[in-house]
Amino acid sequence: MRCPICRKEADASPANRFRPFCSERCRTVDLGAWAGEGYRVAGRETEDVEHPDDRPAPKKLLH
Amino acid sequence: MANKQSSDGYGADSIRVLEGLEAVRKRPGMYIGDTAERGLHHLVSEIVDNSVDEALAGHCTEINVVILGDDRISVEDDGRGIPVGPHPTEKRDTLEVVHTVLHAGGKFDRGAYKVSGGLHGVGASVVNALSEEFEVEVRRGGRLWFQRYERGAPATRVEDRGPAKNTGTRTTFSPDPQIFKEVKFKYEIVARYLREMAYLNAGLKIALADERTGKREEFHYAGGIAEFVASLGKSNETLHDVIFFKGVRDGIDAEAALQWTDAIHETVFTYANNIHTIEGGTHLSGLKSALTRTLNSYAQKNNLFAKNKEMRLEGDDTREGLIAVVSVKIPEPQFEGQTKTKLGNSEVEGVVAALVNERLGEYFEKNPGVAKRIVGRAVEAATAREAARKAKELVRRKGALDSGSLPGKLADCQERDPARSELFLVEGQSAGGTAKEGRDRKIQAILPLRGKILNVERARIDKMLSSAELRTLITALGMGVGDEKDLAKLRYHKIVIMTDADVDGSHIRTLLLTFFFRQFIEIIENGYLYVAQPPLFRAKKGKTERYLKDEAALEDYLTDLGVDSVTLETGAGKEAREYKGAALKTLVRKALHHDRMFEALERRSKSRDVIAALARLAADRTVGDASFDSEDAARAMGDAIVKAGGANLAAKVEPDGEARWRVAVTHSNNGRTPPTVIDLATFHSGELREIRRLGADLGAVARPFTLAAGDERRTLESLKAVADAVLAAGQKGVEISRYKGLGEMNAEQLWETTMDPERRTMLKVQISSMEDAEEVFARLMGDQVEPRRQFIEENALNVRNLDI
Repeated sequence: MRCPICRKEADASPANRFRPFCSERCRTVDLGAWAGEGYRVAGRETEDVEHPDDRPAPKKLLH
Repeated sequence: MANKQSSDGYGADSIRVLEGLEAVRKRPGMYIGDTAERGLHHLVSEIVDNSVDEALAGHCTEINVVILGDDRISVEDDGRGIPVGPHPTEKRDTLEVVHTVLHAGGKFDRGAYKVSGGLHGVGASVVNALSEEFEVEVRRGGRLWFQRYERGAPATRVEDRGPAKNTGTRTTFSPDPQIFKEVKFKYEIVARYLREMAYLNAGLKIALADERTGKREEFHYAGGIAEFVASLGKSNETLHDVIFFKGVRDGIDAEAALQWTDAIHETVFTYANNIHTIEGGTHLSGLKSALTRTLNSYAQKNNLFAKNKEMRLEGDDTREGLIAVVSVKIPEPQFEGQTKTKLGNSEVEGVVAALVNERLGEYFEKNPGVAKRIVGRAVEAATAREAARKAKELVRRKGALDSGSLPGKLADCQERDPARSELFLVEGQSAGGTAKEGRDRKIQAILPLRGKILNVERARIDKMLSSAELRTLITALGMGVGDEKDLAKLRYHKIVIMTDADVDGSHIRTLLLTFFFRQFIEIIENGYLYVAQPPLFRAKKGKTERYLKDEAALEDYLTDLGVDSVTLETGAGKEAREYKGAALKTLVRKALHHDRMFEALERRSKSRDVIAALARLAADRTVGDASFDSEDAARAMGDAIVKAGGANLAAKVEPDGEARWRVAVTHSNNGRTPPTVIDLATFHSGELREIRRLGADLGAVARPFTLAAGDERRTLESLKAVADAVLAAGQKGVEISRYKGLGEMNAEQLWETTMDPERRTMLKVQISSMEDAEEVFARLMGDQVEPRRQFIEENALNVRNLDI
């Protein structure tokens, strides 16, 4: 399987204690992203579409 | 200065006498560190360093080291040769003074050597003092000179052994077993040292031979430290070719070779006058400050901090994965630190920093691709560092890992045995309240969670789990997180995600599932994670109420009611038959299922007419697997479909890209309908199999279909129409309402339908394929907003589609 953070190949078996990540580092990056509120699910459109063109560009997420 | 200097500036008068030798044998550790393996091999480097100094001064190009069969070692160079002749102040030969008087050497006077390594000038005399036997041969001024010593004392006078070509010095010695525990030289240790010297002095040839084994190697690197770095980086993925630069400033020679790799650690070696400065020093700090400055300024200038404007690279970030060698040559090195391997000359820091800033900056301008990779690497490192800090903060704050202080929001259960305890993660405050009221407090705990709403772009609402909520969740679970996880401490063996059956609810569920999958995968692997199945519908008939968990349950319920009030008569004469009750229900269900299979194929752009024709042709074996094997067979199939499906169809045969053939059937009267592609996968699809199976059953029912309800009789076109009429009959007098949120149920209803272990149904979250699961999550969380949103809307309402 592929590591959710770096997309490199990661061992999915219990031998890899960082699964589904490839390494402790990637697991930490993920946990940090949760802790830093970096993960979000895109939601509904709101009614406020008066100025649809001056929206700022979407903030890029880690993943 | 009465004595004349020899023409090469290295004559008898350059040697000054400072001190006697006896102390060395008494306290060898003070001079060579120790008398074990390290000290033994240090002797070799003392002698070799003298030859390397000759090379640095530009007088020597080759050094030959031979480990002899009898534990002796010889070091020969083609330098100027150690001075021979009467010493200006000592009443002995200069050659003898060099070897018998401590701190006698050309290195204490800057005339002879501009720069020098050696162990701080103790050199040959120390080696002599610690050798059982020590011989030196000097070729100089056309003569060969020789002297032999035993334990530091001259055993012969300086002898003239006749004419000699060229110049150079050969020193041969055997370490004294009275001093050293072990006197056998190790080839690998000597080789490592010589290799390093060859790297540090580009172009210098050093040969090593071991007469004990016949092994020999030559170390000669035209590329110097750049080659050194390349050899160190061999086992890693490198981001670019080695970057090398050198320069001279304020009398200081400095060179640096750099290469970034995908490794996590840094490998930086620093040298001053060929001495490996293990403790670093001013040249290292110069390199570090320059890297931090150069990478930060490049990142800023080129907008590489776009993801996070506040980001700054710290020194460690810039050196992650770095392999570097820095080498400086300076006239008067000052060594400090525990092992005297830390460079102290403060002027070196600025020189190295300026060189690296200037030259690396230039390199980055000329090689923007490489620069972006290197800086990108450092940005990643900074991101990871920041993430680790946030992760620590998440769990460090008051009591996050201390199950003694459970969060106030958690309504815990009385049970203490995890195997019998359940934790409901409930979305929304009001639903949380209902759940608390409705639960079995003996075994069920409730943790209300609320997705934090984030109005990122004003026109869209994103959802996320706040760090406070995650901390609460981690605390409630009780097993820690990250490195400190301990499944034995998990407080509940059933963790149930209970969210509304709307889009918002599905978002929270997605976030929670992702969080568990990534950070608590063992909970899923052990089958401890569930998704609650609150009912989607409530059906009320008279005074009775029924909760129906989904569309299928609703359909089933309405069919049951419908078949109670109608009868189906089929066929005529001998074939006449009557269906009611359970038999009618079976027929209705088959008809509905049959229709759903067509709908599923229609969603994949397969025309109903074409599929129906294909099913009939498959039933009478006109079409089979072989129909896809050749162009001719496929054409025959296409013609048969057109014939069976109606005159307005047209078929085209084409290769399917996998060595078989397929047919694309178009409706010739309507170009807007996409063609129905029939390939082997379509032919083998589960839907077609069901259509064929049910089609056979349904086809056996003879027409006409007459539905009788009381006195009313209706003849219907198809069994699907019969099924719809049965459902309509069932719906009479029934009030159906759709539940949108958990909050629409009262505590008792929530208990009955969703929480009561006796009556509820729950989905166990399983990782049948971790890869698939992660792909799904990656899409949900991906940074491409549009496909993610679409995906959620298509799939989120039905968690089973998450394929976990």
